[in-house]
Amino acid sequence: MPLKTVASIDIKRLEILNVDGTVDKALMPKVPDKLLLEMYRLMFQIRHFDERAILLQRSGRLGTYPMITGQEATQCIPPLALKSSDWVVPTYRGGGVYFARGMQMRYGLLYWAGDDRGTHFPDGNNDMIFSIPVGTHLTQVAGLAWGQKLKGKGGVAVTYCGDGTSSKGDLHEALTFAGQFKLPAIYIIENNGWAISVPRERQSASQTLAQKAWGYGVHGLQVDGNDALAVYAATVEAVARARKGEGPTLIECETYRMGHHTTADDWTRYRGTKEVESWKKKDPIARFKKFLVSRKLWDDKKEKRLTTETRSWIDGEVKAYEEFAAPNPLNMFADQYDKAPSALIEQRAELEELLKFKGGAKVMMSLPPTEGRFP
Amino acid sequence: MKTAVKPAAARTLNLVQAVNEALDVAMAGDPRVMILGEDVGRNGGVFRATEGLWKKYGDGRVVDTPLAEIGIMGSAIGLAISGFRPVAEIQFDGFMPSVFDQVVCHLGRIRSRSRGRMSVPLVLRAPHGGLIHAPEHHSESPEAYFCHTPGITVVIPSTPYDAKGLLLAAIESPDPVVFFEPKLLYRSAKGEVPAGRYTVEIGKARVVKEGKDITLLTWGAMTVTCEKAAARLEKEDGASVEILDLRTLSPIDLDAILASVGKTGRCVIAHEAPNSGSWAAELSALIAERGLLRLLAPVARVGGWDIRMPLFRLEQYYIPDADRVVMAARKTLSF
Repeated sequence: MPLKTVASIDIKRLEILNVDGTVDKALMPKVPDKLLLEMYRLMFQIRHFDERAILLQRSGRLGTYPMITGQEATQCIPPLALKSSDWVVPTYRGGGVYFARGMQMRYGLLYWAGDDRGTHFPDGNNDMIFSIPVGTHLTQVAGLAWGQKLKGKGGVAVTYCGDGTSSKGDLHEALTFAGQFKLPAIYIIENNGWAISVPRERQSASQTLAQKAWGYGVHGLQVDGNDALAVYAATVEAVARARKGEGPTLIECETYRMGHHTTADDWTRYRGTKEVESWKKKDPIARFKKFLVSRKLWDDKKEKRLTTETRSWIDGEVKAYEEFAAPNPLNMFADQYDKAPSALIEQRAELEELLKFKGGAKVMMSLPPTEGRFP
Repeated sequence: MKTAVKPAAARTLNLVQAVNEALDVAMAGDPRVMILGEDVGRNGGVFRATEGLWKKYGDGRVVDTPLAEIGIMGSAIGLAISGFRPVAEIQFDGFMPSVFDQVVCHLGRIRSRSRGRMSVPLVLRAPHGGLIHAPEHHSESPEAYFCHTPGITVVIPSTPYDAKGLLLAAIESPDPVVFFEPKLLYRSAKGEVPAGRYTVEIGKARVVKEGKDITLLTWGAMTVTCEKAAARLEKEDGASVEILDLRTLSPIDLDAILASVGKTGRCVIAHEAPNSGSWAAELSALIAERGLLRLLAPVARVGGWDIRMPLFRLEQYYIPDADRVVMAARKTLSF
């Protein structure tokens, strides 16, 4: 018997906006001008915010911080295709996603300052805190999407993982469930080229990460992740398919981590400046600005105004962040259980005793009020 | 193993340099030794524990793996069964739960399941503990999970000398060893370390200092905390304090523990993990079972609270400090 081809796959790559600001008219999605301007604002502001966060870290006013510079399109654009009731779970490098979901960035700073009060998302949003052990959220997102399906209101669940995380078994199991149960889930692989010091080509022998989708009966495609229009078009299409009950999509967004892995990392140890420079030319914000200018939607005056607004917005968020009083140590016992067991009540009392031992009544008086629910 | 080479002069190294040197010595001495992990190659590890080794031994022996902990653990098991001596690194303690399936279901069982025909001589290294202002899931103390698993040896040094000697012993061990490295001590613990190969026997506790009124039983970075507490107790309370650094958590050096507690009659066990179900619970039970009549006071345990590790702004109130050890010791001394 001759060998037969029983399956073949076809991996598409979507690019719409060129680095010179011109677009592929045939592929250009219908986007109202107002939304185009919003895309630019989000990307512009989060980049400036990122720069300030790094400065805060370098001057000892923030803990280890994961920078997002270069990944603004992949992060800020997908949320624009979603409702607040759709689930969104980014990675720890997800400031742009949370910002586009309306998070007050003072909380982002608070989290990276090592303060548990930083996991604060806008009321009514189905946003979830990222996972730090990477990829462990991916199967949970299958569950979130499953919940949306069972509720029958057309809700979806969107999540992110990196190119590194795509090597983990978690993605295999998540896509298996998403495909098998035809879940309204969208998995975005934010392929930024580097998992700390390990480059994408050392991560997997797979030619693209998008093609992994086919192994699970999931629709998959690759997108220029620095092209806001392509990211938008791909997300809109995936969301529409999910809402109609046509199942999950895997989108590989090819982007680049312009900065260090975190402020605790140093990329000069493992990659060349030439590569980094070559990606500068593909910058998502610069090309989007050229596009807006060519459409007569943007000019220097508007840029200047946005710059001023952004500066004062960042100043306000930093001020609000720094005005959070140091947390009361007793807070750590709050919200551990619906009802705290007696052992925790005893241990919390022991911590109170320790605080008195340390500084006496004076210290107890000077502590801020406790926050969170206890017992 | 005795060598004819005369011992080289000792130099002052910190703990991560001692780990690095142990790996270097092991790789130079045994071509079967290889290192697997995330960012262990070109980058030299996120704590620089493998600094320089990729350049020296090449890509085939110091391997930057894909980001997949189960892949690292499972393939290290396979390599060990097939005659290699893999040293696998899990980048942070908080990423260790990923490898549990391999550890609990396989790592410690392969020798007995193969009726002794196979063994898994690998080392699983991971940083341990908190207090370095690290992000979430980077400050955990998961030793009890591993100690609870039969067939596995669990080691945690607190000095550079022990780090090098124990790691070399672990790599030479015919059975799997989980090797925790207190990350707070990576750079802060400094001490004399001989060059070249030497080993520290696995399974033996170290008497950090001798005393006769109370035993502080501890391991990892908490050893340093106990030294601070002991200094205060001696100065402020006039107590004579003995400190025992377990170094090997499993198997337990029961002889050393009973000898010390038998002498002092009082014991405080200090560690970083959530206290309930911790390894301190096992130690306390053993002391009660085997040494009850020598005790003058109940054994006290000072550990983390039974809640998740908070983000770092509050970590100093979660992980016991010298104040907490002193408080517990005073209660024990005045019982």
